[in-house]
Amino acid sequence: MKDATTLLQAAQSILAPWAKEFTYPDPMRLDVALAAGDIAPAAAALRAAGWGYLTAITGLDLGVEAGKLEVLYHFCDGPALVNLRVTLPRDNPVINSVCGAIPSASFFERELSEMFGVTVAGTPNPDKLFLPEDWPDGVYPLRKDFEPELLTRGRP
Amino acid sequence: MTEQVPNKFIVPIGPQHPALKEPGHFEFSVDGEIVTDASIRLGYVHRGVERGTEDRTWVQNLYLIERICGICSHIHATAYTLGVEKLAGLSAPPRAQAIRELFCELERIHSHLLWIGVAAHEAGFDALFMYSWRDRETVMDLLEELSGNRVHYSCNVLGGVKFDISDAQRDAILRGLDFLEQRTHHYLQVVTQDAAFVRRTRGVGVMTKEQAVEYGAVGPVARASGVERDVRVDAPYLAYEQFPVQMITDTAGDLEARFAVRVRELFESYRVIRAILDKLPAGELMAKMPRKIPPGEAIVRVEAPRGELFYFIKSNGGDKPERVKVRTPSICNFGSVARLTIGHQLADAPMILAGIDPCFSCNDRAVRIKRQDHIQSWTWSDLRRYALKKYSA
Repeated sequence: MKDATTLLQAAQSILAPWAKEFTYPDPMRLDVALAAGDIAPAAAALRAAGWGYLTAITGLDLGVEAGKLEVLYHFCDGPALVNLRVTLPRDNPVINSVCGAIPSASFFERELSEMFGVTVAGTPNPDKLFLPEDWPDGVYPLRKDFEPELLTRGRP
Repeated sequence: MTEQVPNKFIVPIGPQHPALKEPGHFEFSVDGEIVTDASIRLGYVHRGVERGTEDRTWVQNLYLIERICGICSHIHATAYTLGVEKLAGLSAPPRAQAIRELFCELERIHSHLLWIGVAAHEAGFDALFMYSWRDRETVMDLLEELSGNRVHYSCNVLGGVKFDISDAQRDAILRGLDFLEQRTHHYLQVVTQDAAFVRRTRGVGVMTKEQAVEYGAVGPVARASGVERDVRVDAPYLAYEQFPVQMITDTAGDLEARFAVRVRELFESYRVIRAILDKLPAGELMAKMPRKIPPGEAIVRVEAPRGELFYFIKSNGGDKPERVKVRTPSICNFGSVARLTIGHQLADAPMILAGIDPCFSCNDRAVRIKRQDHIQSWTWSDLRRYALKKYSA
């Protein structure tokens, strides 16, 4: 089995064309900051090189004051972990789908979209996955300013 | 001339009763007998746990997290505690790690035996269902004996475990394992040799290695298609370095292979539990945890009975988490089932669904068959009976 260092170095050279910054939070983990527009080609490059698999997509709300959302794409290969990290503006977060190269990302993108209000451009199925059909538009439960009262506002 | 009416209708199945795990709503488009499309809608018991973690302290969350799943409760709590310990920059003592691993494997045994029963029931083998659930009581009794609870063992605390293993408990576990191992040999024989059983599984729901990778399958479902991924082996956590397991894979990729992989994993669990009990490290059960957790991000991957479980935990330095993200193995496998049923007989749908271990047992819910302008209502049992009748011919 390949060791984490070799795997992470390989990932670093695959991602070099798009990376804004590489950081190693721990020896098994490489974080790669990307511009929002570069997520699809970067993910496709990992897939094309056969580097690991997309294990999850995590959304993060940095808060109203910061005005930013973060989206993390977690790729794993053996013991090694690569996080592609993208920052989006909170008021109009749009990101391209990675489903072209990684079809299994569809569920993750649907979840990201309904929970954080991120528009995933080009995702094959933009329907809700977890939230009810009558969930109000523009209310995103994992944003920091979510209040349960938003769900009943304007209703009798 | 009459216009040709396309012989295509949609069979919606579910949402399921939330008695076991995630209920889901599957909608199968059918052309005659053959499934042509499938879609999934989840969330019928979405409880907002991720959001809930942000309003609770690090310790309170342990109890919330453990209740995400009633089958693999321990693995969720383990992933969470490992993450929090990583953020705090400490780790549980070796004896605690070994006891956690022991609970993980006991949990896998009960989960796999439960699944054998559910899948056997879907195949119309109710004798196998009852035997496997009777035998499963052996491991449930052991879990109760160790922790006081059959389901939420609450074995973990931040920094360690609550329980030690006494000599009497060790002997009880070893006796239970001897019985289960002998029974498991019988199950392996049934699922790989019984002519009537393999008729429902051999060559059904085949997923190639390439498909398994593309669909994002995890755990035994992926391993049955030859994908060599098991977090316990790839990135050992707890005491898996000292007490390793062997990765069980198959190449056939059909339902039979999924049965065989899970049953063979049981033998590995028995073996590693014996190894742990034989060389249980001495020492403390707990490390002291701070109330506030330093800022940072931790990512934890563990192998739940159904496959890789992923946790992302972020702390802002307070007494509550900033964010806890949970990606369960079933969400990955649900995606694979939607693709797998396409091209198969509708009668194979129950078994293909059961094959990913989605916890489908209490699913006696409405199934509607939409055909042109009239809607026919089925229950899941109707669909199951339809499948059994088809295969009894």
